Parts: sequence; structure tokens; C-alpha cells
Amino acid sequence: MRWLAVLSALLASFAAMAVEPATLAEGQVLRGRFVQERHLQGFAQPVRSEGSFLLAPGRGLIWAAEQPFAVTTVVTAAGLVQSVGGAETVRLAAARLPVLSRLHAMMAGALAGDWRALEAEFEVIREPAGPRQRIILTPRRAQDNAPSRIVALVGRFVDEVDIERSGGDRDHLAFNGQVLSAGPLRADEAKALAAAAP
Amino acid sequence: MIRAAALLWLILVVAAALHVGAATLRGLPLQTDLMALLPREDRDPVVQRAKDVANAALSRRVLLLVGHAEPGRARAAAAELERALAGPGLLLPSGDVPPADALKRLGAAYFPHRAGLLAEDDRRRLQEGRGEELVTRALSQVFGFAGFADGRLLARDPLLLFPAFLAALPVPASRLILEDGRPTITENGVTWVLLSGLLPGEATQLALQRRFVTVLAAAEAGLDPGVRLLRLGTLFYAQAGAERAMAETSRIGLISLAGTALLLVAAFRALRPLLLGLLSVTVGLVTALSVCLLLFGELHVAAQLFGASLIGIAADYALLYFAQMFSPEADPRRRLRQVLPGIVLGVATTVVGYLSLMFSPFPGLHQVAVFSAVGLVGSFLTVVLWLPALDRARPADLGRRSKALAAGMWALWSGRRRWVLFGVGLAVAAVGHGRLTVDDDVRRQQPLDPGLAAQQAEIMRLTGFGHSGQFLVVEGVDSEQTLRREEELGGRLAAVVADGGLAGWQAVARFVPSLARQAENRALVAERLTGPYLGGYRARLGLAGAVAAEPEPGPLTPRPVIASGALPLLATLAPEPGLHLVLLEGVRDPAAVRAAVAGLEGVRFVDSTADVSDLLGAYRRRAVWLLAVSALLMAPLLAWRYGWRRLPAVLGPPVAAVALTPAVLALVGLPFSFFSAMALVLVLSIGVDYAVFCAEDRRRDAVTLTGITLAMLTTLLSFGLLAMGDVAGVRAFGATMLVGVPLALLLAPMAGKPFSR
Repeated sequence: MRWLAVLSALLASFAAMAVEPATLAEGQVLRGRFVQERHLQGFAQPVRSEGSFLLAPGRGLIWAAEQPFAVTTVVTAAGLVQSVGGAETVRLAAARLPVLSRLHAMMAGALAGDWRALEAEFEVIREPAGPRQRIILTPRRAQDNAPSRIVALVGRFVDEVDIERSGGDRDHLAFNGQVLSAGPLRADEAKALAAAAP
Repeated sequence: MIRAAALLWLILVVAAALHVGAATLRGLPLQTDLMALLPREDRDPVVQRAKDVANAALSRRVLLLVGHAEPGRARAAAAELERALAGPGLLLPSGDVPPADALKRLGAAYFPHRAGLLAEDDRRRLQEGRGEELVTRALSQVFGFAGFADGRLLARDPLLLFPAFLAALPVPASRLILEDGRPTITENGVTWVLLSGLLPGEATQLALQRRFVTVLAAAEAGLDPGVRLLRLGTLFYAQAGAERAMAETSRIGLISLAGTALLLVAAFRALRPLLLGLLSVTVGLVTALSVCLLLFGELHVAAQLFGASLIGIAADYALLYFAQMFSPEADPRRRLRQVLPGIVLGVATTVVGYLSLMFSPFPGLHQVAVFSAVGLVGSFLTVVLWLPALDRARPADLGRRSKALAAGMWALWSGRRRWVLFGVGLAVAAVGHGRLTVDDDVRRQQPLDPGLAAQQAEIMRLTGFGHSGQFLVVEGVDSEQTLRREEELGGRLAAVVADGGLAGWQAVARFVPSLARQAENRALVAERLTGPYLGGYRARLGLAGAVAAEPEPGPLTPRPVIASGALPLLATLAPEPGLHLVLLEGVRDPAAVRAAVAGLEGVRFVDSTADVSDLLGAYRRRAVWLLAVSALLMAPLLAWRYGWRRLPAVLGPPVAAVALTPAVLALVGLPFSFFSAMALVLVLSIGVDYAVFCAEDRRRDAVTLTGITLAMLTTLLSFGLLAMGDVAGVRAFGATMLVGVPLALLLAPMAGKPFSR
């Protein structure tokens, strides 16, 4: 499942942040923009989307694609909710899809500097890449169409993530404009997170 | 002659005792299932077959939830319990929770047939012309974070209808996660691990219950003290019920035994009558048990308890005999001769009465009939053949007060007083029968253990397992017709769910649609979704030209899905091609479910609790009929002895006692149930005995009435005490005896009055 891969990729980036100077402290939020390119078999062009994201430790993730199709995904401990133009299109409860809560546990652990959950699932290799660092994750157990390799390029923040999959699909994510701030969430952000909370 | 017969009887009794002793050493095959007493329902063989399937699948199931704050300890405890139970073969694997790869096999079984499969909600949206919402959903899944679809899936299922179908399947226990190979759920900081399996035998076998509960308790005692254990299964209820009934019976039995012993020792001022009375009852029990084991191979606990109480009547014969020590006769054989006609007639009428139970269709009553008839004859033979030889009592004087009491009882039915009493009796009967209510509700007769019910509710909440014991049977000529009927039914049940009358339901058609519905789904998708929207959607995604069409394998049937093994429930739901079960979950409004399924062809609502209540009602009505039949069967015997003209005087008193008893109970607000009716069967037998003893008395002797009064007191001590029981059925039985037997005694002297030869 592709979403699993992307989630893992992000996880990797957050995990990287945990060892780099930019570590998320309690109450801090990370905002930024992304460009996602999905090279899918059977598609003439990569499926490209771009938008903004927000990560609030302990609360969840808001991933708002703006172009070419505006869809907002909110991931919390309770599960995953997607909405288009304010109308909910997909809701997956963690209770029904246990993998979600496990991934959330890995994510939360990595953010707090606890790598055990992540390293239980992936083999982690770090190598220098110029001024930056390359982090390579390899899953310990092979799964159908799960990522076979995740490579993240990390400076102060995560800049790029490549995800390769056994099925032949490939994703490329590029991040920019990341800002770490301590201020409270905007009203709309808090509302989106609350709507997806249990 | 008598000596030879006594010796022969001794040999038979010893043989029976050896037989019963050997059987006890092996473990008596006792049954506790209330349903085993009931007839195989003749009404509806299909429902019966479906019930058998459901019971086989569900009643043998055992679920344990093992909880601890630390997941590792919870898992270790579950493993420990599993070892303890599975080791001796007490828990067999059930496949309740499918292994992870079974889910993959399930997907593989479904995928080639996806064109005909639609999530229920998607189908509704297409029917309502809201196809655009499905397009938006697909777009949000492709462009959103954590895209659901990979390239291969998008090429084959561009609108992602198949994942939606899979996610919407009403899979039971969906809240459980496999962790380290064990189904697990974490809630409020406690990790619960599920341990489930099947019993190696019926949940109602007493021996299995005891072994299982003992092994489980021992294993539980060895666990971490922080571990919590929740139980769910018919076995636990049956065990708790049997335990409680037995504890109650033995508690009451002890009081009754002590009371009887005191009474007899006080009355006869000697130990021997008590011991010999006990001997006759014991011989009756042993011979009855032996014959029943030979005939039926097993014995139902209820039949044993009821039969044993019937044999208790046999103590009356010994008492009547011993009461003769108050007569001037010194020779035991002559004393016996005094009472022999009465005893013989008493045994004959009672045995005839019980044998009428053989004509009932209730297998439990057959056991009761054989048990009591054999036991009664055994006790009778002991009294007649052995007692005179063992009796050493000298004649004694009855005492002034006893004589006066007896004289008063005889006088009760003479002169004008008689008519006053008749009037009172008629008035009580009229008012009481006007107020009579009937109660057949099995839940009140045999209440469920509240602690277990709480654990069950907790397990259902945690796991999502929610079978309620209520289900529907759907029948058709073949699998297809049955599936179509289930689909029609599903539409109606969905409305009940929406109204809150039902939490949910499990049916094969929700996992495998009928061929007709699959065709309908294809048409719906083509007409309302792919036709208008697919082209634009593809263009928007940049999805290249259509994938080469794969060969279509034809529509899906239940078989490959069942064969995948991912949904063990499906095999239970579809026991035969044309016979399906629909399990109902969380039925809050049975009437609404009944109303919803009314008029659907081939669909029947089965409510086990209500069925047992219906059966108890049927049982009650039949017991009343049996009363009438056994009274009729006794009539010729009594007429042969006393003549047809005297028959009303002899049979009248017991019949009047039987008729008055429910009326008196109704006056104090007690309803009439099957258990009261069974007690009335006893009241009739005892009443006829009393009337016969009085009718045989030619001198209006104080000795006879003293003997009968003693007999009544011992009877009240053994049955009347049951009125203090906790279980409603037992209480009703006791209360009926408490009222009926004294009434029978008071009325009995009527039989003696006009008789003189």
C-alpha cells in the first residue's frame, strides 16, 4: 500500500530530525511545502501534486494538497481522515486498520528520540552526502508492494525523500520552506486535527 | 416363598448397587442441558437443523480475554492458559481469528470477480445517482497523503471500488490486531489477548464442565496476579447454573434430611423405623439409577432430581407400615397385612400415573417416568419383602393427643360442617382461578449468572464479537435463491439498524452477493459511474489508454470465499447450499426484527430464549393434560377395588386438591408455570395414596391418619423446603407442594367416610 510507504518516508525524515540539530520540542510545530511525484506503472506522466503540510508532535499531521486537486489528509492516533472542499471523503479508523496506530507509534517514538519502534521494522543506515546526510531505510520483512527502500536526504530539515517499491512504482518527495515555530496552531489547523481525533 | 422372594430381591439389589457403583467410579454420565429434556422439535425440521448447526458452531465455542497493563505479560499469560487447556485436549483450535496470510488469500479469491462487487454504501450512492462522490473519493486517494493505490491496482480498478468493498465487509472481531501471532486489543492502558477455541464435547456435559473449569482455575491461580481474565461461552453459564442448582438442592436436602430424621425418631421413639425407611428409599434410588443407565445410557440431572423426589413418596409406604406399631398387632407380618392393600393400590395407581408420562413426546419425561416407576416398585418390594423380617418393634400406644387429632380429621367431613367446607373450597377455587396467571419465561425460571453476563458484555464490547443467540434462518431451493432472499432481508434489517433496534447482522450475502446482484452491480457501475465519469477521470490522472481486458472468470459464488479460510464464520453461516443462517447482533427490539422479516418468503426468526419459553409453555399444557390422563388411568384400578359408585369419593379428594392448589397460590400472587404443573403431578399421586389409605381403613382408625400425617410431614420437609430456593422454577415447585400436599391430607378422610364393607 502506497500510503504506508509515504508515511514511512515521512517517518524517516522526522526520525532524521531527531538526530539533527532541528529536533521538535514539545509544543513546537513544523510547517512547510511539498512537491510529490508518483511514478506509477501504466501512467504516461508521473502523478504530481503540491501543497503544504503541518506536523504537530502528539497531535498529528495535516497534509494539504493544493494542486492539481485540493485534498486534505489528517492523520492522528485515531486514524486517517481525508476531505475535499470540507466534505469528508475517506475515514479510516485506527481501530479498524491497526497498521495505522502502529505507524503512529513509530512516528511518535522517533519524534521523541526513541528509535526502537522504527528500527524494529527497518534497518537504518546513515552516510554523509556532502554537507548533508543520507539516510537509507530497508524494511526487515518484505511485504507485497511495500517500500523496498527509502532514501532521505537530510540537511537541517528533510529535503528530499525517494521511495522504491517492489511492485515497480516509485515516489519522489521534495520539501522546502520548512519553518519551526513554537506558537499555537491556527484555528483552522486545530479544527482539522480535532475533527480527525477520536 | 416370601423368604425366597426376599432373597431374590436381595440379589437383584446387590447387582444394581454394583452396577451403579462401577458407573460412579467411571464418572456418571450426567447431562445438564435443559434443552436435552425437551423434545426434538417436531414443528419445523429446517429450523431444527439450522439450530443444530448454530449450536454446534456456537455453543462449543469458548472465548477468553487475558488482560494486563504490560502487553508482554498478557501474551505470556495467554500462552500459559493455552498450554494448560490445549495440553489435555480441552480446547481445540477454532480458527475464529484468521491468520494474516488468510486475508491475502481472501483478497485473491475476491479480486478476479471485482466487477460485480460493490460496498453497500457505494451501491447506495450509485442508486441515488451520486456517482460523482465516488470519483472525488478516488481522486482524493490518488492525490492525498498516503495514496491508497499502486499503479497496478489503478490500472485494473481505476475508481478504487475494490478496496472500498474490502474495507466495508462486516468482518467480525474487526477490532482485534494480530500481534506476535495473537489477536490483541489495547484499551485504556490494558492489553487484552484473545484465546479462543472449541470444546472437545458438548458444553452441557457435567464431567467436561468440571474438568474444564478445574483446569482453568488451576492455571489461572498460577498466573501473574495482575492478570485479568474474561470468559465467554455456553460452558461457563451451564457450569454456573448446574453448580448453583446442585448447591441449592444439597443445602435444602441436608435440612430436609435432618428434619425428617428428628421427626421420625420423635414419632416412633426408636431409630429402626428411620433406618429402615431410609433403606427402602435408597434401594429405590439405586435400582432406578441402574435401570435408567441400562436403558438410556445417560441420565439428565433434572430427571434424576425430579425422579428422586418422586421416589421419596416411597418413604410413605414404610411410614404407613411402621405406624401399625401403634396398633395392638404384635406380629410384623400381620401388621403388613393390615396396610398391604393400601400400599399395593398406592403403588399401582402411582406407577400408572407415571407411566402416562411415557406417552408424552418429551424425552426428559421418559427418563423421569422410568426412573420413578422403577424406584417406586423397588422401594415397595423392599417394604413388603424385607421390612417385616427386619422389624423388631413392640406395640406402642399412640397417645391421647394424636388420637384426638386423628378423630378430629375424620370428623372434618361429617355432618353440616362438610357443606361449609365445600362452599369455602368452591369460593377459593372460583376467586383463585379468576386471578390465575401463567409464567413461562425461561429467563425467570433459570436466571443467568450476573457475573458471567457482565464479562460477556465486556468481551463483546472489546472484541466486536456480538452473537446474541438470536438468528434468522433463510431457506431457498439453491444457493442463489437463498442469497437473493438474504439481500431482500438485508434491506429491511438495515432499516431496523437505522432505527436502533439492532446493532448489526452477519449474512453470507454481505460477503458474496447473489449472481443477480452482481449483474446489477456491474450495470450500475457501467451506467452511473464509468459511463459518465471514467473518461474525464482518466484524463485528469494522466492514466494511459485502457488496460488490455483480462479474461473474466465469471461471477463469484460463496464456495471459493469460504475455501480461502479467511472468514471461518462463513462456513457456519452457510451450512448447506440452500440453507443459510443470519446471525443477529445486539438485538434491542426483537419485535421490530420480527415485524421486519414478516412476510419474507423462506425467512424465519429464531429466538432461542423465546423458543425455550414457548416450549416451557407447551410443557406446562402437556403436564396438565398428563394430570388428566393419569387420573383417568387410575380410575379403573380404583373402581375395580371400590366399585364405580365409590370412585368419586376416592378419586375426588386428590383431584380437588390438585384443582384447588393453583387457585390458592394465585390468591397469594404466585403464577402457574411448568414447574407448578409438575408438582401437581406429584400432588395427584400423593393425594390418591392418602385417599386410598383412608379408604382401606375400615375402623376409622387413628393409626392410619397418624401414619398419613407423618408421611405428609416428611413430604413437606423434603419438597416444601424447596419453596425457599433461589431458582424460580424450584421455588414454584416447592410452593405447590407446600399447599397441595396438606390439602390432599385434609381432603383424604372424605374417601373413608361412606366406605364400609
